[in-house]
Amino acid sequence: MMKKILICGFAFLALACSKENKKNALKPQEIALSTDYSNVFEKFETSNDTLYVVNFWATWCQPCIEELPSFMKINEEYKKDKKFKMILVSLDRSSDFDTKVKDYISKNNIQPDVYVLSDNKRMNEWIPKINKTWSGALPATALYRNGQQLFFTEGKISYDDLRNTINKFM
Amino acid sequence: MKKILTLALCAMAFTACQKKTETTAENGTTTDTLTKQDESSVQKTGYSIGDEATDFSLKGTDDKMYSLAQYKDAKGFIVIFTCNHCPYAKAYEDRIKALDAKYKPLGYPVIAINPNDATVEPEDSFELMKTRAKEKGFTFPYLIDEGQKIFPQYGATKTPHVFILQKENGKNIVKYIGAIDNNHENPNDVTEKYVESAVDALVKNEPVKQTETVAIGCSIKVKK
Repeated sequence: MMKKILICGFAFLALACSKENKKNALKPQEIALSTDYSNVFEKFETSNDTLYVVNFWATWCQPCIEELPSFMKINEEYKKDKKFKMILVSLDRSSDFDTKVKDYISKNNIQPDVYVLSDNKRMNEWIPKINKTWSGALPATALYRNGQQLFFTEGKISYDDLRNTINKFM
Repeated sequence: MKKILTLALCAMAFTACQKKTETTAENGTTTDTLTKQDESSVQKTGYSIGDEATDFSLKGTDDKMYSLAQYKDAKGFIVIFTCNHCPYAKAYEDRIKALDAKYKPLGYPVIAINPNDATVEPEDSFELMKTRAKEKGFTFPYLIDEGQKIFPQYGATKTPHVFILQKENGKNIVKYIGAIDNNHENPNDVTEKYVESAVDALVKNEPVKQTETVAIGCSIKVKK
């Protein structure tokens, strides 16, 4: 009897752990086009203890494309941690969503969720909401937890700087 | 007995999982060297509204040198940092021409400046600027910020980035900084023409209502 309970218990234990760890990994990648910034912001401005790394980029933006490999490397290193999530917000044209953006994602093995934000007429509203110092130049990167912004930078960020910044808040 | 066992197991399950996240957190906090960059309040450089803008002497695509001082009759300027390669800049080329056509006769000509370094962005070379100006039939000077000395003084960070200046007692005072309008993608679906509203106000000697706006643009390519 005792043995049985123990076996059951260990099975339960293993299950509990694997379930928790797979929670993020099992979620399929989300790729979506949005014309309302609030629908995109709610993906990373949520009230939980996950650290969100949000990168604003576009396929036409050379410095963005140059820094993305570092982001993918970091995502690879951290994605198993359920308290880490990377989100890419593309500022490509909505008409390029099905072509250029999706092509880029598949060709470059981009694994984080990607949202193409095409809320053009309200840029002057949502850009300052991300950060009041942001001029709108791409790329830009922000870190969020519990709906609070922990970090923001405009321009390219190196692998080391991004990693150090993430570590600081993990 | 059974109860105790299940309780113990539950506790174990809890701590087992907890341990995992703890170790990753430990690994994560070993380096802590970032100092300047991690403050969200990045120091803003360049002009604010009301500042006096610097004059310059920059070469245009017609190989002539241009400065603001040579525009004796101008009441002000629509200075636009723009370039060849950026899709946002390209989307606005025709609208920049229209601004020049509308406001040059009213004393506010467009002065376009390419701030990018051609070694970083070959599409923005002086030769290709000449080609682009000819192709598009630019009616305004298209200048190269050789040595990249002017754009940092203005505080331009991207293309297109507009600075509207008005002459006051011989000085060029910054009256507006920001975007051209609120829809780069579709000129037929623009609901706010920021630059036009600002210049219209200046022409009428009225204060500019919206003095600063932001929009997505291509970062300026600085020589490495």
